[in-house]
Amino acid sequence: MNRRNFLLKTGAGFGAVALADLLAAASSNPLASKQPHQAAKAKAVIYLFMHGGVSHVDTFDYKPELQKRSGQPLSVELAKTIKTSFIHDPTKAILRGSPWEFKPGGRSGLLVSDLYPHLRERADDLAVIRSCHSNIFDHAPAIYHVSSGSQFPGRPCLGSWVTYGLGTENQNLPAFVVMSDGSTKSGPPAYSAGFLPAVYQGTVFRGGENPILHLRNPVGVTDDAQKATLDFVNQLDQRHLAARGEDSTLEARIAAYELAYRMQAEAPEAVDLAGESEATKKLYGIDDPKTEDFGRKCLLARRLVERGVRFIQLYSGTNVGDDWDDAHNDLIGSHVKMAGKTDKPIAGLLADLEAHGLLDSTLVIWGGEFGRTPLAQGANGRDHHPYGFSMWMAGAGVQGGRAIGATDDFGVHAAEEKVDAHDVNATILRLLGLDHERLTYLYQGRDQSLTDVHGQGEFTAKLVS
Amino acid sequence: MPRRVAALLLLVVGSAFGATGPEVLHTRCLQCHNADTAMSELRLDSRDGALAGGKRGAAVVPGSPDSSLLFRAVSHQAEPHMPPTGKLDAAEIAVLRDWIAAGAKWDAAAISAAPRSEWWAFQAPEAPAVPEVAGVSHPVDAFVAAKLAEQGLQPAPPADRRTLIRRATFDLHGLPASYDETKAFESDPAGDDEAWKALVEKLLASERYGEKWGRHWLDLVRYGDTSGFEQDPYNLEAWRYRDYVIDSFNQDKPYDRFVKEQLAGDEIWPEDPAARTGTGYYRVNANRDMLFKVEEQNRYEKLADYVDTTSKVFLALTVGCARCHDHKFDPIPQKDFYRMQAIFAPAVNDRVFLEYNSARFYDLAWNTRDFKLRNIADHLRAIYRPYEKKLRDEKLRTLPDGAQVIEAFETAKEKRSPEQEELVTENEELAKVGDDEVRAAMSASDAEQLDALERRLVSLFKGYGPPNMAPGVIDVGRESPRTYLAIRGNPEAPGEEVGPGYLTALGGGDIPDPPLHVQTTYRRKHLAEWIARPENPLTARVMVNRIWQFHFGEGLVETPSDFGTRATRVSNRELLDWLAVQFVESGWSVKAMHRLIMSSETYRRSSVAPAGAAEKDPANRYLSHFNRRRLQAEEIRDATLFASGKLNLEMGGEPVVVPLDQEELYGITGTPSDRWVVTWDPKQHTRRSVYLLQRRAFQHPMFQVFDAPDGMTTCERRNESTTAPQSLTLLNSRFMVDQSQALADEAPTVEQAWRMSFGRDPRPEEKAAAQSFLSAQQKRLGDAERARAELARSLLNSNEFLYVD
Repeated sequence: MNRRNFLLKTGAGFGAVALADLLAAASSNPLASKQPHQAAKAKAVIYLFMHGGVSHVDTFDYKPELQKRSGQPLSVELAKTIKTSFIHDPTKAILRGSPWEFKPGGRSGLLVSDLYPHLRERADDLAVIRSCHSNIFDHAPAIYHVSSGSQFPGRPCLGSWVTYGLGTENQNLPAFVVMSDGSTKSGPPAYSAGFLPAVYQGTVFRGGENPILHLRNPVGVTDDAQKATLDFVNQLDQRHLAARGEDSTLEARIAAYELAYRMQAEAPEAVDLAGESEATKKLYGIDDPKTEDFGRKCLLARRLVERGVRFIQLYSGTNVGDDWDDAHNDLIGSHVKMAGKTDKPIAGLLADLEAHGLLDSTLVIWGGEFGRTPLAQGANGRDHHPYGFSMWMAGAGVQGGRAIGATDDFGVHAAEEKVDAHDVNATILRLLGLDHERLTYLYQGRDQSLTDVHGQGEFTAKLVS
Repeated sequence: MPRRVAALLLLVVGSAFGATGPEVLHTRCLQCHNADTAMSELRLDSRDGALAGGKRGAAVVPGSPDSSLLFRAVSHQAEPHMPPTGKLDAAEIAVLRDWIAAGAKWDAAAISAAPRSEWWAFQAPEAPAVPEVAGVSHPVDAFVAAKLAEQGLQPAPPADRRTLIRRATFDLHGLPASYDETKAFESDPAGDDEAWKALVEKLLASERYGEKWGRHWLDLVRYGDTSGFEQDPYNLEAWRYRDYVIDSFNQDKPYDRFVKEQLAGDEIWPEDPAARTGTGYYRVNANRDMLFKVEEQNRYEKLADYVDTTSKVFLALTVGCARCHDHKFDPIPQKDFYRMQAIFAPAVNDRVFLEYNSARFYDLAWNTRDFKLRNIADHLRAIYRPYEKKLRDEKLRTLPDGAQVIEAFETAKEKRSPEQEELVTENEELAKVGDDEVRAAMSASDAEQLDALERRLVSLFKGYGPPNMAPGVIDVGRESPRTYLAIRGNPEAPGEEVGPGYLTALGGGDIPDPPLHVQTTYRRKHLAEWIARPENPLTARVMVNRIWQFHFGEGLVETPSDFGTRATRVSNRELLDWLAVQFVESGWSVKAMHRLIMSSETYRRSSVAPAGAAEKDPANRYLSHFNRRRLQAEEIRDATLFASGKLNLEMGGEPVVVPLDQEELYGITGTPSDRWVVTWDPKQHTRRSVYLLQRRAFQHPMFQVFDAPDGMTTCERRNESTTAPQSLTLLNSRFMVDQSQALADEAPTVEQAWRMSFGRDPRPEEKAAAQSFLSAQQKRLGDAERARAELARSLLNSNEFLYVD
């Protein structure tokens, strides 16, 4: 019935069809909003991925013992348990205390370093997980591992699994949006749909008014000419379909053009910040050149959540310029710069989500592929470090103002309530109402899942109660 | 006597004369629960084993069948239902029940038959009799007709000639049929069968065929031109293997030979570079050696990829699932994974020299050039250094602490103090000296020397080209590194040592040591010959099923890389078996299979579903009609270039990099000018898609959005998705806009545009609609030429262009 409606109405030209009819026409629309397995705390996710490696002992994991023993070597036994990429021999390296002071924030008094003064004010929102761990100490495989559960590219990432499991609430925008500073250390495989259908792939939003690839009309083609061309394509397709009887695939293709047309109309509106007040822009630091870029992205993330986008992955750091990983040679310079670019925008995002009543239903995640070693690399640096590191979550019923788990005295190994990437991903799914063991896709003879046989350390209960 | 019959006899005889429980255990359970494999740690080769049980506890409680897990499992009263390959006959279950009830006595002397697995795919196919169906002469049609009759379905009428030539040309070439070819076929005075046969022969004889069917194979073997991960380096000579695959299909290389060359060309034909190029199969994957400081793990992951890919591609078995534990559904014990891994353990990377005109292991031209280059580079440094230093110091001297900064730069990196290091970091930008600055400052005599060097340099590169070699593998020698079963799949937890051997489910057996005179282990040779022998129950079936799938969109077995016990969606097993037997008898000729399948009426049916088909068989599993399909990613690009008249049919060679807009390159790892080095010659940019560079960490956006595989793991079947970003790509990407313009230029009239896009003339009402569209667009855009480009863009976005009936 609806499908017939749609086909009748598309004769009237693009944009004339009711969305319900359109979606019914794309009858097997893989992005239709779906019910989760169980009650959900979060409807949407904003994943702030600080790629390149943020030092945990300089941000969210205060280590008094490390400060005390700064300049001394680690015990040989302990040093032998870790691998580093540039420090040739960890048994010969010395500990380096944090150059930043840690201070309590919020009513909870959660300790946050001076790198994040604005976030510290939102400390009561943050549940810091201090016991993340893995053993992958190189960027790309570690990013793939955190994102997809495998250090080899080719498996679907978290955002793809989530959109596969839940669909999206706004068909005129992509379900899963990725924003980066341009080049990343892992490339597109980090937000790839892997073996899931391509429709679950993350859509990269570029800067500027045309965020989606190929969104703009060809040069010189006016909007009315574009619509006329689309209408003519539709005319050709209707005639083609009529000669063939019913075919849901051909109908879905007709609907996909209608959706593309709507996307061309809606996406530029979604990314246009002109309607936002100066106060809001200021909140995100858009008035300051240092924070402007990341601030825009964070504000855009809120606008997308508002419009029903399911999953937003926001990368900080690049492979060729602004880079957390410059901490190899310059811990202070790299972290002052990168935290400076992101601190205020992230704090602003939390405040703004709250003001819009979205924080309760939006899970905000801050994390990366690994931390940095408590050891010194050269005179001024810190090397990669996956054996114990921090991340935090906020919103979506997560009780903030506290830390979960702990590393050892020096921040070397996760020691208490250890969680790995699978546990974290299982937890994120659970907050979205998805059971990581039931969210499966049959591929090559197996019911594949994000967490495979892992994820038993899922810890939602610790976050929400 | 076939084993099945023998076993049946045994059973009949057994039950008549008192077959014992141990006999049933021996024939039906021992394949997995023997001393060697002991799946789930359970051994059923002795009374003690049965009593002791395995991971799940005791299997047999003498005197009490109902509390014996063995009985409960075989009678499906408890999980796991055993055997996984299908329930035992009632008589066998009864024997086991009675045997346990009577105390589970063991008389080993009575056991004679071989253990066996009942799963159909593990039994060699026997050509079933072709069903007798009135009025049907083609065997393929007879098998299909029998199923259609069973399902109460009527076949669709034959498609018309225009539909057929478009279908066959896309199917065999991945390209549309031209207007002229279509016309000629439509007006061929020969009868339908004869004209069709001639067309298929013509298409098979063209080299376009290998480009299309080679692409199918490249999907399977996870082909790519780079190695993946953050640096994603070029795998410079991977394309030699790509060309080898295309060439193999074009020559209709017998499939058994094709298998053997890829798996063990180096061991079987060590003196034949063409055959050895096949071992590029092991080298065109994502390079698992990219991670550093974890060499053991890298090696293990590489071998795991070989096991996983080889078992899926050639045998349609998911041996990869048995890496950490025994297979959950198939009789594949964990040990089999490692027996297979041991086959690949001695393989190491090698360069296959395509011609032996140079000294073995050296490419003399490269070798000599590199020596000369080092000399030139040394000379260059000597000329440049003094100027660079002088110019740098001049710049630094302008700083207030200039002298200190200069001193910091002069100090060797490892001797600098932290303060000096900081000075260097701070002033690095300022200290940079450009090529132009040096040249401007250069003395006449140095400039002359530089000039001479430049000439020498250029002349060295006049004959430069890719080396005459392909990536391949050989064994390290006749001694292999040892292989250990990795406990829970963790290579750092080695268990027992495992030797190379064949899969238990297919009869098992060890691979012997090599003869004394060879410097290789022959392990891969044994594997290749074992896979490519006519008796292997899977090899021919798996390949004919793939061929069928690429023709019809769906295989007869719908899980083309999994013929294990979960492969339950089998629409026509008789036909599959019959085709498999034909395939072997034809000398493993893939082209013979095309001829056989395409000559059927089943292949030539209309794609419009006949009445009732949509209700009774919505997925069209029984093929009452042909499956309409969307063009694949490469076909869309190639067909677009074909329509615009720009397609360059040059074959083979190094991968082509086409220009992409900056927004299309967004997100590429590293610097685009390093990672996306556009081929200098624009004529190359319109080559067929199979020849374009396939980066692992960055897919061509158009291919990505249209479901092209990423080359990470074997891809046996592409998704066929329908999304809004696809429409945006076809509407607005620079490539599509450029080709629309080219088509409009090439085909100024509506007739011509229709002919080039659809291979037919427009109908009068279409022509009228197009004319009115043109005049309206001309009004909007103010220009007839631009209006024509809009018409072309519409045609290239239409379903008639994008779908094949």
